[in-house]
Amino acid sequence: MATSDIELTGSSAAYSPDNPAPLIEAPRARTPRTAGSTGRSRTNFELYGWVFMRLSGIVLAVLVVGHLLIQLVLDGGVSKVSFAFVAGRWASPFWQGWDLLMLWLAMLHGANGLRTVINDYAERDGTRFWLKMLLYAATVFTVLLGTLVIFTFDPNIR
Amino acid sequence: MATPVMDKAEAEAARPADSPYITATFRIRRFNPEAAAESYWEDFRVEIDPKERVLDALHKIKWDLDGTLTFRRSCAHGICGSDAMRINGRNRLACKTLIKDIAPEKPITVEPIKGLTVQKDLIVDMEPFFQAYRDVMPFLVTHGNEPTRERLQSAEDRERFDDTTKCILCAACTSSCPVFWNDGQYFGPAAIVNAHRFIFDSRDEAGEQRLEILNDKDGVWRCRTTFNCTDACPRGIEVTKAIQEVKRALITRRF
Amino acid sequence: MQIHTYDTVIVGAGGAGMRAAIEATKRSRTAVLTKLYPTRSHTGAAQGGMAAALANVEEDNWEWHTFDTVKGGDYLVDQDAAEILAKEAIDAVLDLEKMGLPFNRTPQGRIDQRRFGGHSRNHGEAPVRRSCYAADRTGHMILQTLYQNCVKEGVEFFNEFYVLDQLVTEDPETGLKRSAGVVAYDLATGEVHVFQAKAVVYASGGNGKFFKVTSNAHTLTGDGQASVFRRGLPLEDMEFFQFHPTGIWRMGILLTEGARGEGGILRNKDGERFMEKYAPVMKDLASRDVVSRAIYTEIREGRGCGPEGDHVYLDLTHLPPEQLDAKLPDITEFARTYLGIEPYTDPIPIQPTAHYAMGGIPTNVRGEVLADNTTVVPGLYAAGEVACVSVHGANRLGTNSLLDINVFGRRAGVAAAEYAATADHVELPADPAAFVLGEVERLRDSAGKERVAELRRELQETMDKNVMVFRTEQTLKEAVEKLAELRTRYRNVGIQDKGRRFNTDLLEAIELGNMLDLAEVMAISALARKESRGGHYREDYPNRDDVNFMRHTMAYREVGDDGSETVRLDYKPVVQTRYQPMERKY
Repeated sequence: MATSDIELTGSSAAYSPDNPAPLIEAPRARTPRTAGSTGRSRTNFELYGWVFMRLSGIVLAVLVVGHLLIQLVLDGGVSKVSFAFVAGRWASPFWQGWDLLMLWLAMLHGANGLRTVINDYAERDGTRFWLKMLLYAATVFTVLLGTLVIFTFDPNIR
Repeated sequence: MATPVMDKAEAEAARPADSPYITATFRIRRFNPEAAAESYWEDFRVEIDPKERVLDALHKIKWDLDGTLTFRRSCAHGICGSDAMRINGRNRLACKTLIKDIAPEKPITVEPIKGLTVQKDLIVDMEPFFQAYRDVMPFLVTHGNEPTRERLQSAEDRERFDDTTKCILCAACTSSCPVFWNDGQYFGPAAIVNAHRFIFDSRDEAGEQRLEILNDKDGVWRCRTTFNCTDACPRGIEVTKAIQEVKRALITRRF
Repeated sequence: MQIHTYDTVIVGAGGAGMRAAIEATKRSRTAVLTKLYPTRSHTGAAQGGMAAALANVEEDNWEWHTFDTVKGGDYLVDQDAAEILAKEAIDAVLDLEKMGLPFNRTPQGRIDQRRFGGHSRNHGEAPVRRSCYAADRTGHMILQTLYQNCVKEGVEFFNEFYVLDQLVTEDPETGLKRSAGVVAYDLATGEVHVFQAKAVVYASGGNGKFFKVTSNAHTLTGDGQASVFRRGLPLEDMEFFQFHPTGIWRMGILLTEGARGEGGILRNKDGERFMEKYAPVMKDLASRDVVSRAIYTEIREGRGCGPEGDHVYLDLTHLPPEQLDAKLPDITEFARTYLGIEPYTDPIPIQPTAHYAMGGIPTNVRGEVLADNTTVVPGLYAAGEVACVSVHGANRLGTNSLLDINVFGRRAGVAAAEYAATADHVELPADPAAFVLGEVERLRDSAGKERVAELRRELQETMDKNVMVFRTEQTLKEAVEKLAELRTRYRNVGIQDKGRRFNTDLLEAIELGNMLDLAEVMAISALARKESRGGHYREDYPNRDDVNFMRHTMAYREVGDDGSETVRLDYKPVVQTRYQPMERKY
């Protein structure tokens, strides 16, 4: 044999036509029992998710670029950002709304994206479930905490 | 084990200078559950005209060197869809790939298509693939009395779904999809292509049902538009475009 | 060994098998056994179209179609069958359209039609547009549409089950043969399964792989014909094999006759449109046997193209690229892929390629298999290329095979299921799988030194050299001798793969055995037919001989007391109704 690199492990040596090795299984194969054309839940969740990702992406592009410009470029750039600067902006309901929208959209957009990645790449049902639970918990925690901060921010704290 | 190839120097000496033949190395992914639990690479060197097909080379190996090499094939000219395999890391039909086009100076790798259970050498279990196909209602549905003659259809309406009628169910697209590699629950490009063929057929009356099936969490929304399927299709079907058209139909139906 | 019981078992899932399955499944408990996945069959390679006198684009009727079929088959056609074929063609096409087949359309939205070889208006006056088509992938569309409808009807498939034996019981008193079922080999596991069935329908396709230059798939090895023949049932007209004029040079890949229907022209090395000499009226659209012989005559007389002068050109360069893209997309792609030729600007090198077996298992017009000239085998049916009804006679017209599978596939499916509804199961013979198990074990355990590939190569070379377009007493005798030698050597064949799972090495050996059996029948039948008719051309007997040979050949396998096998030939009269034999001119 020219350059075959067969690794005969202890177990391999015992296989024969009467005692074949297990096949090289593909992950999560579809079977006749997979709910196919019937019996699936009829929701538009994935459709709305898909549309949400596109729309929120466009809105986020405006919000995030605007945010970055204000924070990092205009009026002397990042050096101007201080507690007072943040306090000044959050005094206005407009900037409160801006940041709140940005927080929610970014978190939901990111979380949904990560959910997709988990669905695509986590092979085992259990892994997928727990990774998503962790993701959802983190998202809910961050969104709630952020919202709380925006609305309960006290410029006179000290 | 005896070496299955002629010594290279000897082979080249025996060949006249103007011979069209070259020596190409085929590095084939082997797996035989009756012999070992692991798959492995095996190299074969064959004398072959570079204008021949990869399938011809596989036949040469099977017929002259190693009869245990196992693969599916039938028509040998890209119509039956039996011999989709991964050649140099890309899904192709072995009978539609000429050796000269895939850099034969380097070893040519040949593997089974991915995402389906490997049963022996290049043979995979096609059942899950056909199951997804069957699950999208791939047949014409009409209601009411049939006309005595043919149903009328304008040439433009016929043209609308022409691209997706070309599918030969070879699985090259589905098994090139990174989503499918990890999750066989995804319907996959081929099933969507075959649903598309009927959704956009003006004679059909079950488009709604098919759209509903593909609106599922394992339906078209799992497509990440990587275009692997379009690149893999040996029939030149614009697979990703077809999937996008189904998505658009779902959205315009909703909003 | 497992035993399954069904009402109807269909062997093969190509066009005829699936058309039969759609009918049989509605009427009886049906299983389809196929050695490939259903859409892998060679029906998919058919390109040009399916003939039916729809008269959608110009005046036409089924009687003209019947005449063309009879004349095309050089009057060896059973005319009652040809009439059924032409009449039912119209419904067969309309049925397919209603099943969803995407035919090309006329501006009015009807099924479009185009010209095809041998199809003429008013008994040979001029070419007529009779072929219903879907670009140059009509066969692909038929195969897909039929599979789609099998899915719709819930047809039960056994994929990669290879039928190796037909079970026949013989009544000891009357000698009446009856079908009891089939024995199949499961490729995935290597297990043998017995299928007991009230009715068995063979639709397993042709046997062209015993030629080297052929448009046939690797899997067309005549398994159905061989299993039936082995059980003492006859094969009809096996000497008639069609050579398609336009195969890709050296590879044999089919380039549809539709290319000439769209206006393509055959040219020799001088650029001459040589078909004008051989067929002044129909020219390039004469029937296939005529065109194939004309091409080889040009080549023999030194007007072939290329350095070796071994091919001619199919010229499409005068056709607008838009027309090629719309009507002939697949064959132009074949030329680009396999020859590196651009058909817009360069002519395509072609040579005749072994294409279609006119002969096969004899049946009547209901698809019932015959045990001799008249006796039916109860419960045994055949349709498609495996069968010989005979609607193709000595030469099949282009587009009549897609028609044949639909008309007679449907008829056989209906007849089988109706028979199954009234009949009882025939008791299985004792130890039904003995033959198959024996053969499989013999090959797997054989220490023989002969290699399958080498024997097959020699078989194909012999057939190409001696039993192709031109035949003589001498070449045929040479072939018979060589085949006897190959059959002897075959007994000593050895295989390398000793496993059970997906043992394709073993299957290729079995297929070779089938091909050797059938090649021998073909050569012996051809040797005995001392005339030239349709696809069978004897240079030593260049004329048709209606006095002695207006009859079908029936070949039987005889086993002597010492176990020696011989082929016995008998003959069957041709059914003539409307048309008296005339000289055949195009």
